[in-house]
Amino acid sequence: MRGLIVKYGGPFSGMVAHVIQRVTGLLLLVYLFLHVRTIYALSQGPEAFDRAVGAFHNFFFKLLEIALLGAVILHALNGVRITLIDLGVGHERQRQLFWVWSIGLGGLIFLAGAIPLFISSILRH
Amino acid sequence: MTYEIRVSRTEGTRSYQVELGNRMTVLDALFRIQSHLDSTLEFRCACRVGMCGTCAINVNRFPRLACRTRVSSLDSQVISLGPLPHLPVIRDLVVSLAPFFDQWKRVRPALRGTASSELAIIPPNPETSRKRDCITCGICFAACGIKATHADYLGPAAINRAFLRLKDPRDTAGMARLKVLNDEWSGVWRCHTQFNCTAACPKKINLTDTIVRLKRAMLRS
Repeated sequence: MRGLIVKYGGPFSGMVAHVIQRVTGLLLLVYLFLHVRTIYALSQGPEAFDRAVGAFHNFFFKLLEIALLGAVILHALNGVRITLIDLGVGHERQRQLFWVWSIGLGGLIFLAGAIPLFISSILRH
Repeated sequence: MTYEIRVSRTEGTRSYQVELGNRMTVLDALFRIQSHLDSTLEFRCACRVGMCGTCAINVNRFPRLACRTRVSSLDSQVISLGPLPHLPVIRDLVVSLAPFFDQWKRVRPALRGTASSELAIIPPNPETSRKRDCITCGICFAACGIKATHADYLGPAAINRAFLRLKDPRDTAGMARLKVLNDEWSGVWRCHTQFNCTAACPKKINLTDTIVRLKRAMLRS
């Protein structure tokens, strides 16, 4: 286990970034379909839309909303990192770019968004 | 110190208890096993100083040169050894590098110059000087995540070789190489910038940088 942490936390962290980008990409695709399906209900009238949105008013979907925030942030920052690398920026420091930019900064932005979201949508209900 | 060396052999995994000094390498461990414990163990080596790339194997799931890996650097008394992935195993730790060199040949690795009097001089180029150190050990090929799913992919070493030839002003086969490199399924566009090749390269060649440079050059042209 320690060997795997050393391997993927260190020199092979680019592989971790690759996997994160694919997994979050797939999760966002699932969300997109769900989102389009919900918006489609608007064409069937206000009651249908209220019913569709009402399905998400529960504890499980509130938690998923916070997870969605995390997935969006990770995917976006990692996407910026890949773009920078494709432009020839940060090749020598790709590992630091991943841990500091994608995970470090991403974690801070996530906490800044997730804490108010958790308080307002979960603790107050 | 006594190390437990687990070797993934053709007939299954076998463990050996081997007494090794801190300055000894994985290759020393293999020789000790072969000399004192199991003479049937097969592995490959030649120069023993990290110049030939022959002793490339998987050490604790990380492709490395056995002769350049000190057992003390692994921070574990249990060391797992196996053949390089993505290559057909001949026996025990010996793999066939045929798939590696098949891709290598596709990029026309030899210089195609015109005047023979110029061939002895390598024009200095800071962009390519570090990238000339490749020893064709196949480690980047084994470490590449894309190679695991796309057998036709050229692989980092072959792309690096093509890059060196393209940057050589004496070479005249640039267009033929670009055609191979630009292939949608097997060329540079398959690379997903995982940096595994760069992380594993025993000569510290930034292979991902080579691939990204080629991608940019192709987009510009």
